[in-house]
Amino acid sequence: MNTLTKSDAQTLSTEQARPVLDVIDVTIRYGEKPAINKVSLSIPQHRITAIIGPSGCGKSTLLRAFNRMNDFIPNVGMEGQILYMGSDIYARQVDPVEVRRRIGMVFQKPNPFPKSIFQNVAWGPSINGFSGNLEARVEQSIRRAALWEEVSDRLHESALALSGGQQQRLCIARALAMEPDVILMDEPCSALDPVSTARIEDLMFELKERYTIVIVTHNMQQAARVSNLTAFLENGSLVEFGETDQVFTRPQHKRTEDYVTGRFG
Amino acid sequence: MRSDRLRRRHATTKCFRLLCAAVAWAGIVILAVLLFHVSREGIRWLDLQFLTEFPSRFPEQAGIKSALWGTVWLIILTAGISIPVGVAAAIYLEEFSPKNRLSQLIEVNIGNLAGVPSIVYGILGLVLFVRFLALGRSVLAGSLTMTLLILPVIIIAAREALRAVPDSIRQAAFALGATRWQAVRAQVLPVALPGILTGVILAMSRAIGETAPLVMIGALTYVAFVPEGPMDAFTALPIQIFNWASRPQENFHQLAAAGIIVLLVTLLLMNATAVWIRQRAERTGR
Amino acid sequence: MPQVSTANPLLAGASTRKYRTREDLIRFVLFLCAFLSILTTLSIIAILAWEAYSFFREVGVFDFLSGTRWTPLLEPRSFGVLPLVAGTAQIVVGASLIAIPVGLASAIYLAEFASAKVRRVLKPVLEILAGIPTVVYGYFALTFVTPLIAAVFPSTQIFNAASASIVVGIMVLPMTASLCDDALRAVPESLRQGAFALGATQFEVTLRVVLPAALSGVMASFVLAASRAIGETMAVTLAAGATPKMTLDPLQSIQTMTAYIVQVSLGDTPVGTVEYQTIFAVAALLFTITLGMNVIAHRVLARFREVYE
Repeated sequence: MNTLTKSDAQTLSTEQARPVLDVIDVTIRYGEKPAINKVSLSIPQHRITAIIGPSGCGKSTLLRAFNRMNDFIPNVGMEGQILYMGSDIYARQVDPVEVRRRIGMVFQKPNPFPKSIFQNVAWGPSINGFSGNLEARVEQSIRRAALWEEVSDRLHESALALSGGQQQRLCIARALAMEPDVILMDEPCSALDPVSTARIEDLMFELKERYTIVIVTHNMQQAARVSNLTAFLENGSLVEFGETDQVFTRPQHKRTEDYVTGRFG
Repeated sequence: MRSDRLRRRHATTKCFRLLCAAVAWAGIVILAVLLFHVSREGIRWLDLQFLTEFPSRFPEQAGIKSALWGTVWLIILTAGISIPVGVAAAIYLEEFSPKNRLSQLIEVNIGNLAGVPSIVYGILGLVLFVRFLALGRSVLAGSLTMTLLILPVIIIAAREALRAVPDSIRQAAFALGATRWQAVRAQVLPVALPGILTGVILAMSRAIGETAPLVMIGALTYVAFVPEGPMDAFTALPIQIFNWASRPQENFHQLAAAGIIVLLVTLLLMNATAVWIRQRAERTGR
Repeated sequence: MPQVSTANPLLAGASTRKYRTREDLIRFVLFLCAFLSILTTLSIIAILAWEAYSFFREVGVFDFLSGTRWTPLLEPRSFGVLPLVAGTAQIVVGASLIAIPVGLASAIYLAEFASAKVRRVLKPVLEILAGIPTVVYGYFALTFVTPLIAAVFPSTQIFNAASASIVVGIMVLPMTASLCDDALRAVPESLRQGAFALGATQFEVTLRVVLPAALSGVMASFVLAASRAIGETMAVTLAAGATPKMTLDPLQSIQTMTAYIVQVSLGDTPVGTVEYQTIFAVAALLFTITLGMNVIAHRVLARFREVYE
């Protein structure tokens, strides 16, 4: 099903970027029911990869497999391999905590801790044994999340006083403070207004210079606007994966065409 | 036009409603009668001397000094042991435990322990702490007994408070590479704290009023001194009340009433604190 | 930024291993705290079983359970527990006569009629009533209820079952009301709406639809309340007396199982004698009865909740 064969991935990686995440034949089940069925794809470095598909197609499940957040859901079973920089993140000796330190995540609804803005950003580095200048790290992260101008004078006020869009950028800053390689975004704008959404999309453009971003979205315009690569999932199977331009303008599969042109879903 | 039948049906509803309302409000009446009766009987004896004198054979000279201090000792020790253990157990069951047979057994067991009569805990304390561990009839033995008695209450309340913490907070913490304990300690516990505190205070007020287990472990002896360490003998407020109430003389009954006023005021203050914490948490939570 | 390396970047380093050990240690300590509850139950069972076993080597189980004379401290000694069971039963029945109708009616009022405002007043009052120590209720029985009963029935003894029953009823009332309230409120709103749409009045909806739907939850509440009444100690010790006897007259002095245990513990019965071991035999019986009732009630409640989830 997948358009991207192993050799394609190699050409892509030599031409553009090497893969950060390699998904190989992954099947994920809730109990007996497969939610993701034999999906393989390679996520290149310093690119934004969008995962699209109708609701319930398993895109969030797939995303959460990338930093082992599915570990917290009982009765989830996984087959296949997910390689991060060539190492299997589900290998027995690997500590999931270590995975999540390198692969950060931003959730659908902004979920700042009910603490100060500073504490929100500083907590990640401090529990992970960061010994440098914490204040500098916090400032840098908030700046990279394009939030510094708005909060620099009230770092020690509650994060819950921020607007929804600001809270979501704070959550991005919080993830950046860990200096991850990859940032997973699970429909990060679905709870936000159009203006806040535009700001986050701009931010993603800036962030891809330093980070690899994987975003799940149900909003096709958003995928078309922000991503370099797009993967289209349907019923847990990967239908098409390729350059975003190509997926949206010259899809190779009828199902993809129907979906991106809004004929179903 | 309403038929007679329909009118009768509506009348039935009205009567039923009135009956239920009257019965429900009767609770308030009972509470009022009880408080009025106790105050009328006891207020005469309630003065500074009552708080600062030891119990005596002569009602005029009797006070609750040893009982009051005994209760203070008992509650501080009980709180010191039961709160950490109870909250830890709740954290384990709510945040750590795998969903297996043992966890289920522990859960069901805690529910059942909450229903065990307090006098049975008294027997447990008598055999286990007073005799087997040879703690004697000390404040420590009393506190350990009380701890076992209120642990289920604390665990159940703390679990409820932990369950009320939105899962998104845990997810956020885990996604930052926090371990379970780091997530619980730094993010989940602070959010659950007001709820836990409320439960803990209610559990402590239960401990303050419990009498039967203390009678069992032998706290009902004449004690005319204030405990100075955890191994000292002691008496407690409800014990003193029981002692006075079980005497035939009218004067001692009134002393018991005065003791009850002190006990009820203490409980009321604790309950008010719990309500205050709950409301403050609700206000700052938004 | 990521660098090319042959080593697995995800493998736990020394620092990771250190916190893993710490995490495991914490987890173990937390587990011990939770496991303490199992140890508590086992200790209770072990102690009661051990001492009751010694007792039953002296006194036959059948004689204990079916004897109608309880005079372990007086000659001629007799160890028939039925008078204590009868005393307890009298208290439970009396208390239920108050707590069940009043508790259920209060719950119906709270769940079906009362406005949110009224609930906000009544619920805390119930909580306060539930939080009053039992020794206070004992005092109340002795100095207020008993004189009241004596004024109506001059033959009333100073210690009597009626007075203790009444206060125990008041004592378990808040618990009954709030458990019944939970059960009634668990009935889905759609059921009520359906009945109202058929033209039923509030009375008919409550009695014919809501109450039957909540019946198992309500019954379980009654069982839990009765079990609480059985274990009640201080009020019955103070007000019901210390005269184990089989009587149906509520104005007479009786003795319950719990009050007997208190009586022995207050006296100076030597440890290790048969007289002393009676309290463990009685406590074992008490524990078995209340545990049985609680287990059944919790089972019923669990199934009841499943139905409406």
